Amino acid sequence: MAMVPVYLVLYWEARRGNAASCTRDLWDIALSAAATGLLVGRLGAMVAGGVNPITHPADILIVRGGVATGPAVMAALATVAWLGRSQLWVIADGLSAAALAGLAGWHSGCLVRGTCLGTPSDLPWAVAQNGSAITRHPVEIYTAIALIAGAGVIAGLRFRGRLAPGVATGSALAYAAAIRLATEPLRPSLGPGPIGWYAVGVAVGAALVVWAIRRSVARPVAEPGA
Amino acid sequence: MRRFLPILMLMLALAACGGESADPSDIPELPVGTAAGIQAILADSTQPVVINVWASWCIPCRSEAPLLERAAAATTGVRFIGLNVQDEQEGARGFIAEFFPDAPIEHYIDESGDIPVALGGTRGVPMTFFYAPGGELVALHAGVIDERTLALQLDEIRSR
Repeated sequence: MAMVPVYLVLYWEARRGNAASCTRDLWDIALSAAATGLLVGRLGAMVAGGVNPITHPADILIVRGGVATGPAVMAALATVAWLGRSQLWVIADGLSAAALAGLAGWHSGCLVRGTCLGTPSDLPWAVAQNGSAITRHPVEIYTAIALIAGAGVIAGLRFRGRLAPGVATGSALAYAAAIRLATEPLRPSLGPGPIGWYAVGVAVGAALVVWAIRRSVARPVAEPGA
Repeated sequence: MRRFLPILMLMLALAACGGESADPSDIPELPVGTAAGIQAILADSTQPVVINVWASWCIPCRSEAPLLERAAAATTGVRFIGLNVQDEQEGARGFIAEFFPDAPIEHYIDESGDIPVALGGTRGVPMTFFYAPGGELVALHAGVIDERTLALQLDEIRSR
């Protein structure tokens, strides 16, 4: 459910925003980044849980046993940076809206797993589990809607050519982390959760946006045909 | 050869990352559970109860065990019961030594695997039952449980 929106957004952008030759590259890099992030995140969760991945390799496949968010995101970003190193900002900006859409798809997977509900709420749209009188925030749906809206805004701004290189990437990173940070209190949890990782994501994304804008002011991008 | 050095170093690092296990011989033999006995525990319990069905040969059980260990240690006011099924004492004690040496979980063994069926489940593992005080079944989760689902169902049974 995560990769279908990624493909759809890349396909949609291919006709409007991405360089003509790079959409296939973007899809390949998106798949590689998702697979690498999943693998590293799963290994991180296993090590944190005290399970040795060398002696129990089959456990790596049980993704539902947990994926460590921070290592997964860092591995995915590192994969994008490595595979797209020849034209980093073209690739990273081209993936930014698709990545937000993919995250929205990942969160809407709760509809299949039955894990959309969060903390109790009396709001009119709160939902109860089967057989329960306790109504709850559909927190994963909030997250998915916010992420898909962010993907739309970033894609729209890219189409209009109003973003300096790197701004879409930084904005997407900061926005995704901020949405997770804002919705985390609405999720039932066994502990504080990876709030620190989300805060770091907001800070790094915001710093990237500031750096990209200052860089473009200091060194304006040449107009096409100029 | 130098190309494979980073992979080799990564594998060595991962190999050193396994958790420390207790000695299985330090784990007492598991009491034999019966359907009537478990149902009596549920009916008499003034606390919510979580029953996790597991087996030492079950790879997904191994995958969810660290989460259950953490939940049992972090959650107050909920009784955690581990039901080892279709297994033998030796394997069950080895699994407990590896994953639950100090966790506040009472374990029972059911070699036939009939108890989960009597409770309304199936013969599949892993499986997790969530009961409100007095033994009302609130939720039954088949397969590996994730942190969100576990936290949600714990909140649900503690709210009743």
